[in-house]
Formats: sequence, structure tokens, C-alpha cells
Amino acid sequence: MNAPDADAPLIERVKQGDVRAFEMLVVKYQRRIERLIGRMVRDVDLVPDIAQETFIRAYRAIPQFRGESAFYTWLYRIAVNTAKKALVELKRDPVVTEAALASRDDDDETSRVENELSDGETPDAVLASKEIAAAVNAAIEGLSDELRQAITLREIEGLSYEEIAELMNCPIGTVRSRIFRAREAIALRLRPLLDTREGERW
Amino acid sequence: MSSGSKHDPVAAEALSALVDGEVDTVLAQRVCAAWREDGSARSTWHAYQLIGDVLRSEDLASTASQDAAFLDRLRTRLAQEPVVLAPQPLESTPAAAAVRRQGLRRRRTWMASTAVAAGFVAVAGVVVVLRAPSGDGAAAVLASREASPSGAPAATVAAATAPQALAETVVADPEMQALDRKMLRDSRLDRYLAAHKQFAGSSALGVPSQFLRSATVDASGR
Repeated sequence: MNAPDADAPLIERVKQGDVRAFEMLVVKYQRRIERLIGRMVRDVDLVPDIAQETFIRAYRAIPQFRGESAFYTWLYRIAVNTAKKALVELKRDPVVTEAALASRDDDDETSRVENELSDGETPDAVLASKEIAAAVNAAIEGLSDELRQAITLREIEGLSYEEIAELMNCPIGTVRSRIFRAREAIALRLRPLLDTREGERW
Repeated sequence: MSSGSKHDPVAAEALSALVDGEVDTVLAQRVCAAWREDGSARSTWHAYQLIGDVLRSEDLASTASQDAAFLDRLRTRLAQEPVVLAPQPLESTPAAAAVRRQGLRRRRTWMASTAVAAGFVAVAGVVVVLRAPSGDGAAAVLASREASPSGAPAATVAAATAPQALAETVVADPEMQALDRKMLRDSRLDRYLAAHKQFAGSSALGVPSQFLRSATVDASGR
């Protein structure tokens, strides 16, 4: 699989001084980074702080990011280092050994064990998260085969549009449109659950 | 497909393509501008990213208000950070962006030729240092003076004088030891080199050393 780094256009924007492009990357990776840190640090109150620090450090270091590895790999390392540093400073011990972390590196996306991050969250938030997951799954079930296949190949298999076009035997423009329509169909089911009340924040 | 969102569908499709990194630089810039101005573009971007996360792993499901609060808090910290690299004005029209890119390209080619010229200036500088006491040296000083501010065309002058001058340094070599402590250098060259640390860092322009000798061997080898 030789899909180009999907983050390259945004990183390019950040390097040209566009802070908003960095915000878009934050929105993309914040959940994964918080889960990662949640596995290293037992104290759930610390997780958001360390995640914030991770992104600030990444922002400062991004001129040095050369794209030799995927952006997430790079960010992952910064998160692990930031968490370790925080733990040293607080003289606490990480609950997960480094070896265990490393072995999980590869299947980070699919691993569903030890998802204890929600410990300190309110029951309401946990319920809301479950509703969101259920809505996404229901929406996926309701998609036509074409749309479901396109979004699955992209989001789960991580294929590029070109590769999906080859597999589905259609033009790249069609792939682009199918993935968009799949996302919109799922988002339509999600939007009632995603109302922030303080909508001006987004 | 009716999306129920207020923003125009072209922009939303561009957002979707940007999620996958399948956009060119002009479109990426436009989508970033939309994110800047349009709240619904921000919530759509969040929804698309969340969908991807949940598809890969259900435990990444998170409420929008949690995520929005995280970004909100980060924003206040980001605002205190210096802007990354060269801050450039953000123009919204592709035409303006194209013009700017062209300008960048021109500047890059200019810088490349200047870098080459600077290389020759460094060589010429060594020559100046070595040959200054002799009458002939005045010509080389002139060459380097011309070369430093004006770039590529002058570089050919410096390049032309360099091999000949290097050949002469073979003769000048014994004399060099005596001149060690008396360096004659154009003060403008000093300033130029101070601004280009990579040359100032080498010993080539200080006391004659490694760099000069290997160059001499090379010249005599021909």
C-alpha cells in the first residue's frame, strides 16, 4: 500500500503559516492521541493536559517534519514522549510498559481492548459516545453497496482514490463522489447527536 | 443527496477530498479558508473525521462538545505561539496564489544562482587574501567586489579568474607562511560572509588551510 500521506496538503499549509490548517489536524487526531495517552496515564484528569501539550509541541516542531514518516507516526512519538515526561515530573509510574505500547503500535486503529479512557467521563458522555457509534454503524448498514465499499476501502483499508478506482473499476472522480456521498449520508444520521449547543465553537 | 447542511455541496465535497488528502494546493487553501470563515465547514470536518475514527474503532466515538472544548482550549495556547515559519498573507483567490507561487519560484531560482555565485565568491575571496600583496591582486579584489552584490553574471567573471589564480597560488605557496598574520580583506566581503554563515564557518577565508591546499593540488593536476 503506497497511499500518499493524506495529511500532506494540510501540513504544507501549516508550514506556510496557516494555523487553521493545524487546527484541522487537531480535530482529526485529538481522539486518537487522547486514547493513546489514556493508556499510558491512569489519571484521567491528566489526559487532556498531556494531549494539549502534545499538540503544542507538534506545532512548534512542525517545520522540522520532513514527511519521512506518516504524520501520525510522528505525532504518536511526540505524544509518548510528552506523556513520559509528564509522568517523570509527577513521579508516577506508567501503567503500561513501553514494550506493551510498542507491540500495540501497529494495530492501534483496530485494537479495542483496554479502552478505559471513558473511566472518568460522565455517564452521559459515555452514553452519547455509544449512541454515536451506533448511529455510524446503522448508517453504514443503510448505505448502498457502492458507497459502503468506497468508504470502507478508504477509511478502513486506507487505500488512495487511485487504488479504489482500480478496485471498483470506475473513474477517480466517481470514487471521490461516492466517498463524499457516503460521508454525507452518515453525517446526516450523526448531526442530531453532534449538536454542540454552543455551536459557535465550531 | 440532500445533506441537510447549509454550506454549498461543492465545498463539502472538497472537504471530503481533503480528509483523504486528495486535493491540490489551491483547493487545500480554499478549504482552509472555508474552515476559517464557516462554522458549518468546521462541524462537517469534525463529523467526517469522527466517522473515520468510529469506523476504525468504536471506542473513539466522542461527543462534539468534548472535541470542540479541546480545540477551544488549544486555540488560546496556539494564539500565544509564534507563527510557524515564514508568515505569508493568506489570499483567497487562486489567481493571487498562483502569482505568489510564481514569485516564490522566481525568488528560488534567484537564490540558487546567488548560492552558486557565493561559492565562487568564496573561492575568489581566498584568492584575494593570497594575492593582495602582489600588484595583480587588485584585479581579483575587483572581481569579488563585483560578484558579491550582483549575483549570477558576475559569478562567471569570478569563475574565469579563479582557475588561473589558483594555479598561481602554487607559486605563491611558500610566500604564504610569511603573510599568515597579515590578512587583507574587503570589508564588504566580511559583511557578506557574516550574513552567510556557512562560508564564514569554514577556515577557507581565514588562515590558508586544508581547503586551499586541496584546491591547489586539483589545479596542478590538470
